Amino acid sequence: MSSGQIRLLSLVRREVNRFMKIKRQTIGGPLLETFLYISVFGAALGSRIHHVHGYRYIVFVIPGLIMMAWATNAFANNSSSILQQKFTRSIDDQLSSPASPLELLTGFTLGGFIRGFGVALLTFIVSVVLVSLPVREPLVLIPSLVLVGIFFAQFGVLVGVRAEQFDDVALYQTFMLQPLIFLGGVFYSASLLPQPFQTLTHFNPVYYMIALVRYGFIGYRETNIAWSFVLLGLATVALCAWNFRIFIRGRYLRS
Amino acid sequence: MSANALEIRQLVKRYPNGMEALKSVSLEIGSGEFFGLLGPNGAGKSTLIHCTTGLARPTSGEIRVFGQDAVNNYREAREAVGLAPQEINLDMFLTLEETLDLHGGYFGMTKAARRERSAELLEAFSLTEKRHERTRTLSGGMKRRLTLARALMHRPRLLILDEPTAGVDIELRLELWQYIERINREGTTVLLTTHYLEEAERLCDRIAFINHGQIAAQGTIDELAAQYGVSGLEDAYLELVGRQELSRAHLDGGEL
Repeated sequence: MSSGQIRLLSLVRREVNRFMKIKRQTIGGPLLETFLYISVFGAALGSRIHHVHGYRYIVFVIPGLIMMAWATNAFANNSSSILQQKFTRSIDDQLSSPASPLELLTGFTLGGFIRGFGVALLTFIVSVVLVSLPVREPLVLIPSLVLVGIFFAQFGVLVGVRAEQFDDVALYQTFMLQPLIFLGGVFYSASLLPQPFQTLTHFNPVYYMIALVRYGFIGYRETNIAWSFVLLGLATVALCAWNFRIFIRGRYLRS
Repeated sequence: MSANALEIRQLVKRYPNGMEALKSVSLEIGSGEFFGLLGPNGAGKSTLIHCTTGLARPTSGEIRVFGQDAVNNYREAREAVGLAPQEINLDMFLTLEETLDLHGGYFGMTKAARRERSAELLEAFSLTEKRHERTRTLSGGMKRRLTLARALMHRPRLLILDEPTAGVDIELRLELWQYIERINREGTTVLLTTHYLEEAERLCDRIAFINHGQIAAQGTIDELAAQYGVSGLEDAYLELVGRQELSRAHLDGGEL
């Protein structure tokens, strides 16, 4: 293994180590939250709403919940981990090492990506067992979920690097991320909304992510899949480039 | 001839608010030297260290560590430097062993080398029994020892100690002095900042005074005393900061 690989692996190990040491909060909490959603929207509400576009309501909702689990955990992990390290200045240990900006950015990004993947995978396994969730388009689903994971992991890095206090992280999480996810159609189909809400939903980038993941799982097409995928890819590349520029210049991290 | 351990040329650090923390600082530290950097709070000591270790971005100037550019082509330069910062900055999620292991990993050490070196350092700093405990459970003195062990983990050729004995008890201070002296004797160059003049007197071959972001004077203790026309390091320092009235000679003269 080269020194660069050892460095990158160590950066990722640190991030995984952190969330595994507080796994009740970082894994258990989000899992419980997702299962509560499944219970409320599947068992309780699902008994009233039988089908959406020909799919059982619970089956229609779960793809969005899996995407939401990956997105929120990737974001929350990276934003809080980086901010904590900035507070205690323990991040100086990584910053004063020979790690390159790309190694540092990749290491921080993968931490949240892996946590999001873990929670999403567990949710998926339970969903397959409980409600027989299908996977109709794996070639769309897997790259879409990977891009969603990278996008929100990078977004978490960006917020963590720029944040000066925990309130800054909460601001993005509570007032931006949650509303965008909830209004992006996790629990409903945007085509069922009255105007102008249906049109407004099309301006929500998360709507396209949910549509891609839902198509991947159950095969229901609500947007142009190819365009949604290209837009998600471009947005992810743009965010990666922005973060990389910050890491190269050292802004917010090095005085 | 081997390169200097540290060469700083016309280093300027200006913060976005316009404050100039370093004003064209130039400094050379020879390989194997024990060099002291003394100055009042806010003089620029930590900024100079941060620029050298990559924690601050110099506005202009050049920094070379064993001949390697520490600013633009930093990888080899940073591999040669170990930093024990002024403030304890241990990762509260990690155990002692993980702290050293990950640090070694950031510097590209193999697993076997990390295991061997961390065991050696934990033993040397009497921390072996605590190796599986999280850093936040340690006493202040133990945290200080672990910070020094972490700085030494990747076997740096230049060790930078930013006030390493601030706030530690006398016993630990003497212990740390002995350890630092030993590794200096073994060939590691040391750059030390401290507010304890007796520490600088005991440990340092040469000393530089820094004030208002500029090197005011440098040399051996005798050379500094001669430069300020006084008898020792303490009086020379008081001349630097303009507080001659605090000099023992002054006080002994009954001019309170």
